[in-house]
Amino acid sequence: MRVPVLVKVAVFALVVMGAYTYYANSIPQLRSEPPEELSLEGGNVTPEQLVKAGEGIFKGKGTCEVCHRIGQKGTRAPDLGGIGASAAKRKAGTSAKAYLIESLLDPGAHLVEGYPNIMPKVDRPPIGLNRSELWALTAFMESLGGTVDVKLDDIPKTAGSAAGGGQVAELKLPGDPKAGQAVFMGKGGCIACHKAGSVGASPVGPDLSQIAKIQTPEYIMAKILNPAGMGTVAGYPGGVMPATLGQTLTAKEYLDLVAFLLTLKGEGAAPAAKK
Amino acid sequence: MRLQDHPGSSLYALVGCALLGLLLLALPAAAQEAARAPEYRAFPLIGSRLAVWAIAQLHLNFAAFILGVPIFAVIIEIMGWRTGEQRYDWLSHEFVKLTFAAFSTTALLGALLLFLFVGYYPRFWAYMSGIFYPTFSVYAMLFFLETFTVYLWYYGWDWLSGSKKWIHVCLGVLSNLFGTAILFVSNAWVTFMTSPGGIDEAGSLTSLWGAINNYTWMPINIHRLIANVTFGGTIAAAYAAVRFLQAKTDEERARYDWMGYVGNFVAISALMVLPFAGYYLGREIYAFNQTMGITMMGGFMSWLWVVQAILIGILFLGSNYYLWLGMERIPGSERYRRYIPYMIMILAAGFIVWATPRSIPLTPSEARIMGGTHHPVLGVLGVMSAKNTAVNLMILTTFLSYLLYRRANKESVKPWVGTGMAAQWLIFAAAATVVTFYGVYGYFVESIVRIGYSVYQVLAVLGAIALVMAIDIPMFRGARSTGQIRWGTIAPRSQYVLILLAVTFTWLMGLMGFARSGIRQHWHVYGVARDTSVDAWTPALGYAANMITIVTAVFFALVLFIFWLGGLGEKGKAEGHGHVAPAIAGGSDP
Repeated sequence: MRVPVLVKVAVFALVVMGAYTYYANSIPQLRSEPPEELSLEGGNVTPEQLVKAGEGIFKGKGTCEVCHRIGQKGTRAPDLGGIGASAAKRKAGTSAKAYLIESLLDPGAHLVEGYPNIMPKVDRPPIGLNRSELWALTAFMESLGGTVDVKLDDIPKTAGSAAGGGQVAELKLPGDPKAGQAVFMGKGGCIACHKAGSVGASPVGPDLSQIAKIQTPEYIMAKILNPAGMGTVAGYPGGVMPATLGQTLTAKEYLDLVAFLLTLKGEGAAPAAKK
Repeated sequence: MRLQDHPGSSLYALVGCALLGLLLLALPAAAQEAARAPEYRAFPLIGSRLAVWAIAQLHLNFAAFILGVPIFAVIIEIMGWRTGEQRYDWLSHEFVKLTFAAFSTTALLGALLLFLFVGYYPRFWAYMSGIFYPTFSVYAMLFFLETFTVYLWYYGWDWLSGSKKWIHVCLGVLSNLFGTAILFVSNAWVTFMTSPGGIDEAGSLTSLWGAINNYTWMPINIHRLIANVTFGGTIAAAYAAVRFLQAKTDEERARYDWMGYVGNFVAISALMVLPFAGYYLGREIYAFNQTMGITMMGGFMSWLWVVQAILIGILFLGSNYYLWLGMERIPGSERYRRYIPYMIMILAAGFIVWATPRSIPLTPSEARIMGGTHHPVLGVLGVMSAKNTAVNLMILTTFLSYLLYRRANKESVKPWVGTGMAAQWLIFAAAATVVTFYGVYGYFVESIVRIGYSVYQVLAVLGAIALVMAIDIPMFRGARSTGQIRWGTIAPRSQYVLILLAVTFTWLMGLMGFARSGIRQHWHVYGVARDTSVDAWTPALGYAANMITIVTAVFFALVLFIFWLGGLGEKGKAEGHGHVAPAIAGGSDP
């Protein structure tokens, strides 16, 4: 039987494409995942936890490893081995901590001789680290030969303001903080795990006493509705926070709760309670 | 004019144009609607990303074909017009006939892609239309102008002949200008997603021209323009190959052998300059954002370039093999066959160097055994210095193949032929030396200096090609013939090489489309509009390869169907539009 030309051509083309597909499937498969937001809102993390979280950012979301090496001279960027100690000597009158933070936020300010000015500002898109992440990353770099003494307050308040990519508009929510506090303590059940200023004391979840200072309104709103999707705070178990608040709370209760959380700026007693 | 030749095609194209026009005019309302719509909707079964991926790749394949082929079709028509050789006019008409059949499918796929964006990515589309809305009306207008000009060009082939031929040629040129303008407008949208410009930190528009003229716009314009010609050449050559294999008579075989040769010649000519356009694009990506450039070349996408190297290596080897097979049908070519083994060696060595990865993802124990992630010997071949050297030498070798093919049945009668030949060899040697020197020297300088060396290497190769041809053309003018090319007698396996080249280039286009889109990672618009959908992850190569293969297979199935439809109107005729198919067997030189 004579095979038609078109059939032969089709089989040939499929074999060629099959070979390419097989080869592409047989080499290492690297998939790029979108980075998760790290939140350290409670501030009750140990230096070890902070350094570990910072190392994760160094290797992951921060993309630092693309250019920097630790203990090995890079062609594009300086070796960061011992940077925790050497940073203190780089600029007279500037501590290691201040030098590292400034280098992350404005890399062009402290160029190492022999290296081009190619490092992006890490709190801006596309890397877009938030304040918690900058805090952890600084701690990790301090740990490379130095002492970990960075505090969240050392990270400028303006840092990471556009971390999500695109503008973060100031939100004016119609919620009532006082009613929100009631939801926090009652129907929402948040108090079972979280502390919020003078309200609650449970250590199960992160302390939210200064959540409004360290997280954006968008993050807070999204976290309530989709806790797993927004990542888990370092040092706390994942999967504990219920994902059903979006269904159990009414729209008003949800807005009230957010409004309450946005009053938590670490000033001791919950502002709503002061009113 | 004989409008009944492709009545179905005409109707589809008009419907496609009308749909696209209506859709573009309705966009402000769609954008307002999108602002209130959810951020994403899910496409049934396969998900939104795969749906957009498949339609975008198919649309791009068809668009590349209908924009690329007319570029060389009009050049061939001009050749026929100026030389008076009817066979060129026939060939040009054949090429345009192919694109004409694919025109309506391109428009319909474009409209479908737009529906997918508006329906499944409403917020993203609202943002994009907020930036680029003024360009949409320009695009629609260009699309109508392009459509009507191509219609006039194709259907006016007989009407605008003889003394009116210049008008017909002008229509061909005009349709190419409109086509190129369409390409440039749509490239502005897609490059903005990769390297946004003309916006402030919040993503709001500050300058429309800045958004259009972003970092990668012009490099992509140039790269796609050249790649479209290559793609068009390979598809046209593959079409000719199928017709050759199906041919019942020697005359038909000869005609499609010649058509396949011309298609392949066009493809190789454009392919040789394509890597240079690729370097330009790569350089601009680095200039826009170092992190993006490094992610592309050294990050999670680094293995993609190994696959790309293999595909390009196959394209070079295949093109050369086709030329060598073609020499067997040229009396007198025996003189040059002794060079073929050396050329194979250079091409194979270049192929190996280009396909050598720089660093290999390894387990710690494997890395310890090898002494690091870089192989102590082969790792040296993985850097750009080695790869630039390899590809430039491969291009020089391919040019040499073409040169030998060109003179296979010619003997120069010029008294200075010895000096001319010596000068040509000297130029080849000088270019190879410059390429190798900068390749080796590149290991001893900083990367920023090394990038500049690739320009010297490119200039050496392009300069050598220009100089050698400047000597070759006068040297073989009025040359003595050792016999005519026996068109149609080429080995049938050569036609499978043409099909291999078409399939490989189409697959490569899919891969490069994945690379261009994938380097944005989890961003719709890099650094501005984040992808927060369930598909925000960027797939690994295997997943992408599966998708590329499926879409490429669908593309070829559609092409076959469209060409079959296009041929229905001329079933049983050896002519189209009164174009008598020329007799080529045993006939003329290329």
